[in-house]
Amino acid sequence: MQVGRGELIAGRTLLLALMAITVLPFISLLTTALHPSGSAPAGISWPADPQWGNFVEAFKVANMATLLGSSLWIVIAVVPVALLIATMAGFAIGLLRIPGARWLLLLFVFGLTLPFEGIITPLYFLARQIGILNTRLAIVLPLIGLFMPFGVFWMRAHFANLPNEITEAARVDGASTWDLFWRIHVPLARAPMASLGILMSIWAWNQFLLALVLVEDPTQRTMAGALGAFQGHYATDIPLLCAGTILILLPTLAVFVLFQRQVIAALLQGSVKG
Amino acid sequence: MTHARLARPGRLDRRRTAWLAAVRRRHVVGWLFVLPALLFYAAFVLQPLALTVQYSFYRWDGVGPATWVGLRNYAAVLSEPKLVETLFNAFRLVIFFSLIPVGLGLVTASVIQRVARGRLGTVSRTVLFLPQVIPLVAAGIIWGRLLSLPGLVNQTLAAVGLEDVTRAWLGDFDTALPAVGIIGIWVLLGFCTVLLLTGMTKIDSALYESARLDGAGWWPEFRAITVPSLRHEIAVCLTVTIIAALAAFDIVYVATGGGPGNATAVPGIQIYILAFLERQVGLASALAVVLVLLVLLVILPLQRISRGDD
Amino acid sequence: MASLTAEALGARRVRRGLATVVVAALVLAGCAGPGTATTPTPSATSAASTGGGASAGPSASATATGPSCGTDPVELNAYFETGFELPFKLSEEFTKQYPNVTWKISQDQFTNLMTATPRLLSGDNPPDLIRLPSMVSLVKDGLLKNLDEYVTAFGWDKFPAAQLAQNRVGTDGTRGAGSLYAAGLNYSLTGVFYSKKLAQQIGMTAAPATVAEFEDLLKKAKDAGLVPIMAWNATASGGGLAFPLQNLMAAYGPTGPINDWIFQKQAATIDTPTNLTAAQHLQQWVQAGYFPKDVNAIEYTDANARFGTGEGVFMFNGDWQNAAYDKDQPQGVGFFVFPSAEAGGKVAAMSAPLTYGIAAKAKNADCAAFFLNWVATNAKAREIDVAVGGSNPGGPPDLPVPPAAAGSVTNETLSAGAQVSKDDGAMDFIANATGSIFAQGWTPELQKLVGGKQDAAGLLKAVQAQYEKELAR
Repeated sequence: MQVGRGELIAGRTLLLALMAITVLPFISLLTTALHPSGSAPAGISWPADPQWGNFVEAFKVANMATLLGSSLWIVIAVVPVALLIATMAGFAIGLLRIPGARWLLLLFVFGLTLPFEGIITPLYFLARQIGILNTRLAIVLPLIGLFMPFGVFWMRAHFANLPNEITEAARVDGASTWDLFWRIHVPLARAPMASLGILMSIWAWNQFLLALVLVEDPTQRTMAGALGAFQGHYATDIPLLCAGTILILLPTLAVFVLFQRQVIAALLQGSVKG
Repeated sequence: MTHARLARPGRLDRRRTAWLAAVRRRHVVGWLFVLPALLFYAAFVLQPLALTVQYSFYRWDGVGPATWVGLRNYAAVLSEPKLVETLFNAFRLVIFFSLIPVGLGLVTASVIQRVARGRLGTVSRTVLFLPQVIPLVAAGIIWGRLLSLPGLVNQTLAAVGLEDVTRAWLGDFDTALPAVGIIGIWVLLGFCTVLLLTGMTKIDSALYESARLDGAGWWPEFRAITVPSLRHEIAVCLTVTIIAALAAFDIVYVATGGGPGNATAVPGIQIYILAFLERQVGLASALAVVLVLLVLLVILPLQRISRGDD
Repeated sequence: MASLTAEALGARRVRRGLATVVVAALVLAGCAGPGTATTPTPSATSAASTGGGASAGPSASATATGPSCGTDPVELNAYFETGFELPFKLSEEFTKQYPNVTWKISQDQFTNLMTATPRLLSGDNPPDLIRLPSMVSLVKDGLLKNLDEYVTAFGWDKFPAAQLAQNRVGTDGTRGAGSLYAAGLNYSLTGVFYSKKLAQQIGMTAAPATVAEFEDLLKKAKDAGLVPIMAWNATASGGGLAFPLQNLMAAYGPTGPINDWIFQKQAATIDTPTNLTAAQHLQQWVQAGYFPKDVNAIEYTDANARFGTGEGVFMFNGDWQNAAYDKDQPQGVGFFVFPSAEAGGKVAAMSAPLTYGIAAKAKNADCAAFFLNWVATNAKAREIDVAVGGSNPGGPPDLPVPPAAAGSVTNETLSAGAQVSKDDGAMDFIANATGSIFAQGWTPELQKLVGGKQDAAGLLKAVQAQYEKELAR
């Protein structure tokens, strides 16, 4: 493709500018975090004596070890279960084409449009009724349910696009449906399942509203939920707040950088096929 | 899928009966596969949704007895200025969370497509996407600082001689909502750009080549080929971002809490306040139902557009 | 938006109602200052169950067969407010004295606590001790423990009656009389803090004696290029401008009608001529630029941090902030009660207990009540109350108020309290009138006042309308 020199310069300048605007807030966060605890730095300025110790301090005062444990607990409780049952449902709807598959799919897809605020109030009363309010289960169980629309939808897309030969060959060999699923299709679906798993982990980690409403104790919440409490607690100490924020961001950023391709692919394909 | 219903066992030979039985069994097994997902979905999404609808017809403080009030909660949602305002604010946010990111995303994607096919393109894709993976709460905290009076935004403005326009962007009645909107743009631009870029790579390059032969520049090409070919992707982008706008909560909660006045109060915030602070569960639920309906109302026509040329 | 909001620390301390009498009696009784056992309340001279004056200690528990923590291990399930040391320090000291008692302390922002309290109290693991943001609706729903049995068991009836009145709720849902549902860890006072250095710079030699004098100082500060008043008015913290507003109300009119409005007396209104005068003064202050220009975006914590770094000559706040002020500007912060309109007129101040209650279904109610009694009567606890909390510890009238550290602004707030009580000038906070009057009334309307979208008259009308709407519900 031929592009004029003027356009080349203008285009690249635009890109660099957009990238700068995207990254500046992160840089500002970092430089602020490195200022002496208790000071009130404005804008971006590299401190004379960077206080890397702020991260250690924030880790300690924010009880970060507990928070990490709590978030991890939630992710581990949610993702494998959600992944497995979403894959099973996607398999049944997309590949077995059970009667009513179309309606089932529609029912799940409807959930994609549903704002969490639409159901948060009853979720609270339900959690209270079954006695899981203020426990991590109050986040875990609804989250699995809320992940079903995207999960089923995403896995169905994978199964619906598979050539029939694989299934038929297996059937001829007399494989049961479960064998077909577990031995043949799950291994084949490893890539889309991995993407889905990563996405679900990030979403669980970042979930705020459920944590805010359903669990009072910040140390029992997700990272994002805890961040809200952390903000209130350390609002006076801006460098420390920023250091804490960075610590909370770090895991998702790391996951993203490591698994960029899957994350982007999953997010995009998921929505495009919608 | 209708074999089972058509089957009249007496007339069929054994083999066919056996085959049908197998199919039916497989269907049963198939439904068993769907069951766990369906149960979780029904228990924690569909059931609460039904309950929201039910609550919306009552006056209830969440603890004591509930009183049936018919449609009165809905009347309040559509007439009380404070509540109607939240709906308006939600639609104003659509401009920032949806229209601008999609528009700017189209431009950016096309720029990457044309002038940055190499490493610059890859890097910018990744960088622009970064805000999408961090918690929205963190975005709110970061930008809350940037947009404050001593923050980076004002520092920059002052540095280029615009001292006069500096202000607490999130605390000013005229700028609070756009300022919240800017946070949304920051978060969503990367998503839109990358999604649209993916769509662009699928456009038949012959289209562009023939346009070039006709001597078309960036703009005619963008308007005549790129945008129309991306109808589906644009519709998807709009869908996702409009939902993000209408259902905004995290960013607003952290950045402004709905203030100043009610300048940035959106339905999500108001539902939270009504249900858990004011304990007007019925009213909160009515607002929630209205929100769900609004989202559907806006989203469904978009799906038409997107499917139209498939 | 109080959920979001009510960070309103300021607001919060001043939260639960003070019957007007309260502070009067309280301050006269306990606050007269170290060493001077003043109040001659005959009935209160020896509170047997508390072990009397100075010897209140572990032995006190042994004296009665009444409610106590026993000797078996007890874990108190407590909900404290994030960011405030006092209850934490008290709980540590308590465990030191009663090693069989351990604590499971959960903490959250006041904003979250406010929304969470009904849920926590009605949940499966109801707290033994909880910071109460509001009371009446909780009592109505039967979620709070009636403390009347402890009043007699511990002899709280011998405390100055006014001290408990604000935590009483009647069967008709009005506060001020009826059964007791909460106790104060201490009793706070609000007023005007000032930076001694900046005050000197603008030529302030003594606390202003009239509103006019105060306004004169504000003008001088503005002319000197200083920020006259540091304040907070952002949504999450709630409208801090309600502090100066209420002070102005009490300067231009009597406190009685204000308290009536807060206690939801029949036909009470906030939209009175004197309150209008007050609101107009506030509006003039806003227009004159006496507040920071970004005040609508300033959170409570930011405001204190900025005041601590020397931005702002004055700041309307409460004595709970004393320790922080002492730390930021050692010996640099002074305090006075907001003056009245006329020279020599009576002064008034918002004042309220730091309220803690017990869940109706609490597992260790006796032990929690014992703790509350201990806080009011134990010498060490009272010292912590003053040193960490910065406020008057209340309790039996014959117990002295422990002295604050020399040079601490606490000494100034404690003696100012005496002045307020002499003038019978204690008020509850206008933000406490109803559950969401602060979040849905004062805060947005005050923000509009700052933004030029509302005037003094409209402010009062809008808040009154919100008030009536809520009461009609």
